Amino acid sequence: MHRRRLLALLVVAAGIVLLAAPDAVLAHGFGGRQTLPIPKWLFGWGAAVVLVASFVGLAVLWPEPRLERPVQRRVARVPRLLDPLAGLIGVAIFVLVVYAGYAGSQTSTTSNIAPTLIFYVFWVGLAIVSPIVGDLFNALNPWRAIARAMAWIAAKAGRGALPAPLSYPAWLGRWPAAIGILAFAWVELAYGGRGDPSNLATLALVYAAVQFVGMSLYGIETWNRSGDGFAVLYGLFARISPLHWTREGLYVRRPLSGLTTLDPVPGTVAMLCVIIGTTSFDGFSSGEAWGAIGPELMSFWRSLGFGQATAFELASTVGLLAAVLIIAGLYRLGVLGMQSVDPRDLTPTNTIAARFAHSLVPIALAYIVAHYFSALGDEGQRMAYLISDPLGTGANIFGTSGATVDYTWISANAIWYVQVGALVLGHVAGLVLAHDRALVSFGDSRAATRSQYWMLAVMIAFTSLGLWLLSAASA
Amino acid sequence: MLTIAHAGHWAVNLLYVAPLLVAVGVLGYQSVKDRRQLRREGGDVRRPPAEGGQS
Repeated sequence: MHRRRLLALLVVAAGIVLLAAPDAVLAHGFGGRQTLPIPKWLFGWGAAVVLVASFVGLAVLWPEPRLERPVQRRVARVPRLLDPLAGLIGVAIFVLVVYAGYAGSQTSTTSNIAPTLIFYVFWVGLAIVSPIVGDLFNALNPWRAIARAMAWIAAKAGRGALPAPLSYPAWLGRWPAAIGILAFAWVELAYGGRGDPSNLATLALVYAAVQFVGMSLYGIETWNRSGDGFAVLYGLFARISPLHWTREGLYVRRPLSGLTTLDPVPGTVAMLCVIIGTTSFDGFSSGEAWGAIGPELMSFWRSLGFGQATAFELASTVGLLAAVLIIAGLYRLGVLGMQSVDPRDLTPTNTIAARFAHSLVPIALAYIVAHYFSALGDEGQRMAYLISDPLGTGANIFGTSGATVDYTWISANAIWYVQVGALVLGHVAGLVLAHDRALVSFGDSRAATRSQYWMLAVMIAFTSLGLWLLSAASA
Repeated sequence: MLTIAHAGHWAVNLLYVAPLLVAVGVLGYQSVKDRRQLRREGGDVRRPPAEGGQS
């Protein structure tokens, strides 16, 4: 034990020296926009050292599960009016998006509020806010609010209980949510018509229609927990938060502990691999590697008779799916390694994969923060003038239509440091969750640590991949 | 055809893989060591318990 403690101290010290005192490392500064004191790849090495240090620290200092029995304390009552009021706000925003999509300017995506609201404020903004304030989207969810209002009206009009919904098939799990998020990512990254606000409005209505069908078949809350991609996504991120909102009140708990109660239903791992994989592809498609592969793929599709635009969509679709499969494959390798600790344990691989799926949630969040936070900071500023002129017709409702975007709000170096910090923090959180779960699953601290060797390798792989993608995208 | 003229760029990219390769090597070595130690302690987890006869 003494040797292990010494090793832990040495690794931690090395990590601190490498990250906190980069000037001591002999390296040249970067030219161009970023002027980093060490090469970017060295940040990857530093991040790996931090992960190894965290792993050793957990093995030595974390012998008992601490997050697996979450305790929460009620700190405030929630007014009953808050839920319908938040729902009303959500419906109003949804109506605005659809109306602006059809009635607003179609010539420029930056003069119509719909694309900015969908791709930045909604997709990235809510993902970043949910781990801090809790499940905000559950309250704002416009489809849930409309369905609840309809159910209330129908119950009043029918003077009785509505027919019971169908029981949700267990095998379906979170697969509909995973497919929904994959479809959204496809629209964002592959679909040629994504810049057309009217297309976005139509797709928003299609998505809403699917949610209404799902909720009417299986019940509002059941569908929201499993079928609505965005509700599931933001619900997962909200489990990181120390705040837990229910109808009974506002509760506080340890950060991350909400993830340990995540039900490991089918499709959960797929959902998380979709988030990490599609975000990875977004970074990859901006780099030189895709610059070499993408045109080759497009040529292949064109040789089959497809036009330029369709060939682009097909090539991007292949890249998108490949990225998701690579992420799923990496995670699978980690799980298989975990399984090799005790071959007498006949627990199916899928069960173990689902049991540790919650450790992927902070990683998925880290990928989103690292890849999109600067875009949110840049493009989100458009909201200042878009709220005054949401349709791009020259209106000036709040007197802010002359506002402009300041791209210098953050330096290129600061962006890189935030990206590295987000990736490292997310993966350390993933290690903590996996270690805590392993203590419960494998019984003793030693077996738990051995079981996590390969999860550590997977975390290092995800971190290195994330940093490589970010460095390639900003090169 | 994928270009190989910019091999220098690709080589720099490989530096991102290096920590993973080192980690896999060290962890592989450590897991082999762990198994040997377990065998020495009589807790061989690689083999299921023998059905009668010598273990």
